[in-house]
Amino acid sequence: MIDIAEEQNGDITIIGVTGRVDSNTAKSFEETLRGLFKAGRNRVVVDLKHIVYISSAGCRALLVAGHLAKASEGKLALCNMPSEVRHVFELGGLIELFAIYGSREEGLAQLS
Amino acid sequence: LNGQSTLRIANRIAELQKVVAFVERFGREHGLPGRVVNDLNLCLDEIINNAISYGYDDDARHEIAISLQFDRGAVVAALKDDARPFDPRLREKPHFSGDLESRKIGGLGLHFVNSLMDEIDYTRANGYNYIKLKKRLKRPGGDNIEKVEQ
Repeated sequence: MIDIAEEQNGDITIIGVTGRVDSNTAKSFEETLRGLFKAGRNRVVVDLKHIVYISSAGCRALLVAGHLAKASEGKLALCNMPSEVRHVFELGGLIELFAIYGSREEGLAQLS
Repeated sequence: LNGQSTLRIANRIAELQKVVAFVERFGREHGLPGRVVNDLNLCLDEIINNAISYGYDDDARHEIAISLQFDRGAVVAALKDDARPFDPRLREKPHFSGDLESRKIGGLGLHFVNSLMDEIDYTRANGYNYIKLKKRLKRPGGDNIEKVEQ
């Protein structure tokens, strides 16, 4: 199971995900992200710090969010990427597709 | 077979958490590195999710069997299901280039399976898919444990 926490910092939404993002749980993650962009909240930082595992379904959710950010002229940033997630991102050639920052503060600063 | 563990699940996405627990328990029992356990979970998640989501023409309950075995420095996962024929082997490596806009959303999962596993076998017989995934453990230097011991 995953836990998705939402925080607002000015016009930037911070999404913190905890747990395993796999086929079983990625749907709620993707729905959360889609919901933000649909509501016009298109400046988003996703904090990956507490993700212990990510599958292709989880990557897909982030790709969808990336597309939605581009399409709405918003911004998406990822931060605190754990090595397990980086391993999967490198394998999928995903690293260069996203703005990835070392910390939440850095991600927020880049979007402000 | 000795040292083989088998799990049978129904074709429902919620059953995938049983697979995770099964693989993690197997990993602990055999002292497998966390990365290997995660790689196995990534690949099994992909293949089983694919079968459950796209493989069946009816809403009936179907069984999917997953067996794990650790032998001569390699983990072998064997899957058996009666879903539509599905060969997870990719003939070509996908070409990753460009930016986010030109990047398609799908197709990642099978690329992961083909990149992470050392061998993939597929057989279709008597209405069943038989998929076998093999992952060799590496020594810290990068050699395959299996090869060193031969």
